Amino acid sequence: MEEYSGDEVSFNSDEASVSVKECIENIIGGVDYNQNKVNQWTASIVEHSLTQLVKQGRPFKFIVNCAIMQKSGAGLHTANSCYWDTATDGSCTVRWENRTMYCVVSVFAVAVTL
Amino acid sequence: MDEFQSGEEIVFVVDDINTIVKDAVETTIGNNNYQQSRIHQWTSSVVETSLNQLSKLGKPFKYIVTCIILQKNGAGLHTASSCFWDSTMDGSCIVRWENKTTLCVVNVFGLAV
Repeated sequence: MEEYSGDEVSFNSDEASVSVKECIENIIGGVDYNQNKVNQWTASIVEHSLTQLVKQGRPFKFIVNCAIMQKSGAGLHTANSCYWDTATDGSCTVRWENRTMYCVVSVFAVAVTL
Repeated sequence: MDEFQSGEEIVFVVDDINTIVKDAVETTIGNNNYQQSRIHQWTSSVVETSLNQLSKLGKPFKYIVTCIILQKNGAGLHTASSCFWDSTMDGSCIVRWENKTTLCVVNVFGLAV
């Protein structure tokens, strides 16, 4: 009983991935970890990514999560688990790094039933 | 002749979630020191246990649980989330837990169906 309505129903994680990578590059592209600025960076990354996602105009609720960690030998492990409708909802995780820090951004998209 | 007031159940209750998650983390990591070989199991176990308990609450919500486990090594870690949802019914809750060698941050997002 699946109706193929094609365009806007399921989450396109590739597009979201590309969008998020650009946001990260623009904000922390060539800079070193800076404790004073990291607050601004995480806030900017989530806001810009969210804005780009919402611009796509699709019927989704979004959650964007960003973690920035200084490279100092510590171990970091993250995991996500989701209880949702696998046909329409989806997520994508973007990992990015430079010489002094790691940045992990996760996007979760939950379809809105109208 | 029962009329369901749908307003009552569709609220994200932070306290319940807090307790569920704290228990999940305590049971999984407890007093153990950070161990690279077990970290994978721990993160999986924390999110799965939390999610199981959350779905047992029987509320009309979709849930997303994320867990970050970090070794205490002096490194700086900063996280942020931004959400585009229905602020009257949806909600989130963050639980931070630590022991001597490990820091654990669990984020739960609940979206009303």
